[in-house]
Amino acid sequence: MDVACLQVPNFLIALARRDHPELTGRAIVAGGAPEEHAQVTACSAEAAAAGVTIGTTLRRALALCPKAVFLPLQESFVHTEASRLADVVLERSPLVEAVAPGHIHFEIRGLARLAGMDDEHYIAELLETVQAETGLGAWLGAASSIFPAHAAATALPLVGAGAPHPGRPAPAPRSGRVLVPPGQERDFLAQLPVEVLPVDPVMHVRLRLFGLERVGQVAAIPLSALQAQFGPDGRRAWDLANGRDRSSIVARREEARITEEMDLPAPAASIEPLMVGSEALLNRALAHPDIRGQTVRRLDWWLGLESGEQVSRRVVFREPTSDARHMLFVLRSKLDRLALAAAAASVGVTLSGICSEYAHQANLWQIGPRRQRELEQAIAQLSARVGGPQVYRIVEVQPWSRIPERQLALVAFGS
Amino acid sequence: MVENPRTAAGAGGLRLLNQPKPAAVEATPTGEPAAAVWQGRYQRIRAVADSWRIDDEWWRDEIARRYFVVELESGRRLTLYCDLVTGTWYAQSYEGPRESGTILRGRAG
Repeated sequence: MDVACLQVPNFLIALARRDHPELTGRAIVAGGAPEEHAQVTACSAEAAAAGVTIGTTLRRALALCPKAVFLPLQESFVHTEASRLADVVLERSPLVEAVAPGHIHFEIRGLARLAGMDDEHYIAELLETVQAETGLGAWLGAASSIFPAHAAATALPLVGAGAPHPGRPAPAPRSGRVLVPPGQERDFLAQLPVEVLPVDPVMHVRLRLFGLERVGQVAAIPLSALQAQFGPDGRRAWDLANGRDRSSIVARREEARITEEMDLPAPAASIEPLMVGSEALLNRALAHPDIRGQTVRRLDWWLGLESGEQVSRRVVFREPTSDARHMLFVLRSKLDRLALAAAAASVGVTLSGICSEYAHQANLWQIGPRRQRELEQAIAQLSARVGGPQVYRIVEVQPWSRIPERQLALVAFGS
Repeated sequence: MVENPRTAAGAGGLRLLNQPKPAAVEATPTGEPAAAVWQGRYQRIRAVADSWRIDDEWWRDEIARRYFVVELESGRRLTLYCDLVTGTWYAQSYEGPRESGTILRGRAG
């Protein structure tokens, strides 16, 4: 076993149910309050059964499923929890790729032997540890390459439901894990539904219209036919269906994030004390050695309410900034219509997307007629001294041409 | 009588931009790029994001090119084309045809 795929099904809903066990069994819709002009970002199986899908407007979701519990979209919280899950795996694997929140690919080559166990026990223990440390139910697939491992984790409910398995590769579906032994990838994949193929969902629908419902049927089609119908996606699907997966794990990059948090001296329900606290936090964060002399692109701001809930907002700046006042100005515009369900007890900020400052190039030519004349004289003198034109301007030659090198040219300035 | 300025006639001093640069490309039998040497490093092509063909001026010096937008294994995106007349490969960024003035206005802003 070289690679494993760990998935927490419906990550956002799983987080909500972990933190609020009373939501278990209830229809949940995430994305905001039903009166907001936003779309559903995740929904539970109960809500899906009522016709709610990701992308449905929240108002429509309420009409379809009036008993659903509507949760705010807490992007920064989901991001934090996804990072935490990845960190837990990173402690046990040298190479981890976070594919999506709650979906991780990681290398396990040689790790079982290092731990003095066989693959099966190692994987079982790993899954138990992840579940115990995060409190989330997860599915795990392991194989010799990425796609079979991914397909195993994705299709685990089907395997658990007793889908047929020629050359059965010792799955243990009830425990949330499937191991695909080396050499049996093709047989394992053959019986899985075409939806496990990582291609455009439209292609899944078209494959089914052609009567191709299982990965094995896709593998049996001549490559040329599949390529003629679906182009590069067809080739990729054919390769994967035949157990040819040359993709490799791309390790996640650690992004520097500066977080500052404080408990408010007294619970606050109005915006002003929150802004004062936020300004203090921003100044403290901007003085951090990792950020000094640099700018940030994103600001995550959150409040811890007395009721135990959290309210968060993400601000992405049009231009990176290191100015706390500008950050507060943009943040305040996002909080205009903020209505708190309870008084705020704490406030926090996280700065991320740290980068160097943008350079603003002044326009050389917008400096008045006198300066313009001086500049033209200086350019003429420079040309005379060096013996040829030194300053050029860009002109269009044949902008309508399909041949790129015919479209633009440099011409000597002043000619 | 107008004096002879003794300068060459034509579009002298005009330097065309975005000239194609010769590129070392390894192609598959079907003519798609499989690997390229970019900045002195041999790199496999991870994916071909787009491909199109240009045929022009067949009545004089024929231009026939097949362009590919490729992603190298380092993650860098490149636009390559194969000159179908000579079979040689070039790297060249591509902007489609546009109305007069679009580029310059865009750059000034």
